[in-house]
Amino acid sequence: MTFLRALKAVAVLVVLLILQLELFASIRFFGVMPEMMLGAAVASGWHGGPTDGAILGFVSGFLVDLYLASPLGLSALTYALIGYLIGIISELIAEDVERIVRTVISLVGIVLGLVTFVLFGELIAEPNLYNKNFGKILVVGGLYTGLFIPLLHFLMEWVFHQGNYRNNQISMTRVQRN
Amino acid sequence: MAVPQRSSGSRFTLAILLLTSVTLISLDARGYEPLANLRKATTAIIQPFRNIASTVFDPIADAWESLSEGDSLEKENALLREQLSELLEYRVTTEGAVEELAALRTQLDLENLGGQKTIVAEITARSVSNFDPYIIEIGKGTQSGIREGMAVVSVGGLIGRIEDPGLRSSRVRLITDPNVNVGVLAVGTNEIGILNGGGVGQPLKVSDGIPVSTDVEIGSIMVTSGSERSPYPGGFAVGTILEIIVDEINLEKELVVAPTGQLENLEFVTVILYQPTASDSGGDR
Repeated sequence: MTFLRALKAVAVLVVLLILQLELFASIRFFGVMPEMMLGAAVASGWHGGPTDGAILGFVSGFLVDLYLASPLGLSALTYALIGYLIGIISELIAEDVERIVRTVISLVGIVLGLVTFVLFGELIAEPNLYNKNFGKILVVGGLYTGLFIPLLHFLMEWVFHQGNYRNNQISMTRVQRN
Repeated sequence: MAVPQRSSGSRFTLAILLLTSVTLISLDARGYEPLANLRKATTAIIQPFRNIASTVFDPIADAWESLSEGDSLEKENALLREQLSELLEYRVTTEGAVEELAALRTQLDLENLGGQKTIVAEITARSVSNFDPYIIEIGKGTQSGIREGMAVVSVGGLIGRIEDPGLRSSRVRLITDPNVNVGVLAVGTNEIGILNGGGVGQPLKVSDGIPVSTDVEIGSIMVTSGSERSPYPGGFAVGTILEIIVDEINLEKELVVAPTGQLENLEFVTVILYQPTASDSGGDR
């Protein structure tokens, strides 16, 4: 990851973090807020590949951890894994994949991230993360975050593929990765 | 479909990141001081941006809240008024417990909280997670004398305790959290029980410490015990007994308690600047 990309990525993540803390924490559906930072980890995995996905996932999780009562590093662990996983999936599928496929994969990634977060939390550090609201959080949180998937992909496209915006080559093209 | 070769570099990066995460979790669980300082420093850097964002987004959040919760607030208000009048009627007609009413009045008087120094703090954020609804953030921290574990009250009584205070902001863990323990006793008795949260919107529970012989009644006020090992000063109202369940096996009474402190729609809270002496702390959590 170049210095410029890293700078852009940090800027995007901080903006998303502030949006999550100051706006979306108050705008809840059925008491559930969107997981913007997890969504960012998923989108970064898609556009940046496994390595950059894991790194940005780790950073976004760490930023979230700063504001949670759960142990520092729990979200970082989860988001890094999800970013890596989505990075691998994005390498395995065709580059001109339909938007709907990308959206579905992102949604699955977000739900998987929520499940993994609770699973790791229960196993490693923080009991009581799993509660009777878990199903609701999974469904509503997943769908609510899903609304912002296009925005998150747009932002991560900006981070990773600045040059590809020219000549209307906006949407699906990912940079060549080794 | 061609499967691209993944370099071992990505696996190595992931392994390093996972190791770092686990190390962070481990150090944080041990209360490693530099890590706590790192957390405070980073949040302090981001805080000015949050303040700006808060000014912009607060009206939107307020509008959303009034749209989405208007009906439920009206219903809740009506229900609370009904419960309050029932309780007041019950207390006046059946108990005539002047002493209890006086104690209650004392608890409601937020200007004079048992002679303890207090500080009023604005609530700056609700829970910022889907998985931990028992946290609120306030806009005062160690700079204002706030320390870990201090009691936080709102109109009506105790609502939580300070957790991880920063320089200019702190988190408050609410007493509805099932992991929170508070030593309490019913006004007029000397038996100390342990009160636990019951979850969001659920009553509190005292499931330990009240012998079956203790004379407690529905409607009695539970107050903080102020015992030697408690971080909370004694005599602060915590809740009203809603139900008494007798456990005949353990010869104890389990109490279902409605919190008296206002937990919803709060704008400000009061922090009691009370710290037990070092030898006293370590009891309630």
